[in-house]
Amino acid sequence: MGIGFTCKDVAERANALIDGELGFADRLKIRLHLAICKGCDHFIHQMRQTKALIRASAAMPAEEVPPAALDAILARVARPEEEPEPKPDG
Amino acid sequence: MSRATEDEGQLVAALVAGDRAAFARAYQRYNAPMVRLASAILRNRASAEEVAQDAWVSILKNIGTFQGRSTFAAWVFTILTNAARSRARRDGRQVLFEDSGEGNSLADAFDGTGHWKDVPALWEEVTPEREVEGRNLLSHVTAAIDRLPEAQRAVMILRGQQGMEAAEVCAALGISEGNMRVLLHRARLALRGELDRLLS
Ligand SMILES: [Zn+2]
Repeated sequence: MGIGFTCKDVAERANALIDGELGFADRLKIRLHLAICKGCDHFIHQMRQTKALIRASAAMPAEEVPPAALDAILARVARPEEEPEPKPDG
Repeated sequence: MSRATEDEGQLVAALVAGDRAAFARAYQRYNAPMVRLASAILRNRASAEEVAQDAWVSILKNIGTFQGRSTFAAWVFTILTNAARSRARRDGRQVLFEDSGEGNSLADAFDGTGHWKDVPALWEEVTPEREVEGRNLLSHVTAAIDRLPEAQRAVMILRGQQGMEAAEVCAALGISEGNMRVLLHRARLALRGELDRLLS
């Protein structure tokens, strides 16, 4: 173990870093490493972009909703006391 | 303190009032990820669709009890996860979300001294609308999530896509926070690897 982080050390902590879960000492070691390592700087940037794209993908427009799907649910909600759903041929 | 956004507040109010258009909007937004998550738990698409429908019935029947202590999405997905897990138990299947050790996409990335073998390059023009290989980046992301091992996929849908709090995800899936971090870490690395393939 050297005093600083290797690229592997940085990559292993990339998620904790971008999620704000890393302690001060590790953050400092990463900052020192990033100052001299383009590859890790790019990697951290890629991980932030990945995180943002994942979050954005949740809002992707879905297909049209078939009205029958809504009707089926609303009919079940309207039933006062729901019995266990009959299973399609057991 | 309410964590539900203003937008969500309006949606919930409309749902409580029995507004069909609001239900259609909620269904359009959440049903697909609900089915995808239930599929990760049940490993069966048909059962997943049934469970999602059961969850919607439960959501609409109980919408009056939603108090905004979590986001609406977190509330919805907690109901869905509970429904899927109890369905799995009824079907005699155990639901375990242990880290399987699968898929460390960085296993081979470093040399013996811990340096990159191939130094990561900057991605250019990263926008959600960017088309690569015939579809946009966001649909690549969703497709790549659906290829993850089940446990990683479940965590990625709840934490990564829906933005649920770590504690909410752990409670919904019945996993420890440490386990969740490992799963999220591996899943995000896998997604980064897929994006790197598309963008480099
Ligand atoms: Zn480095």
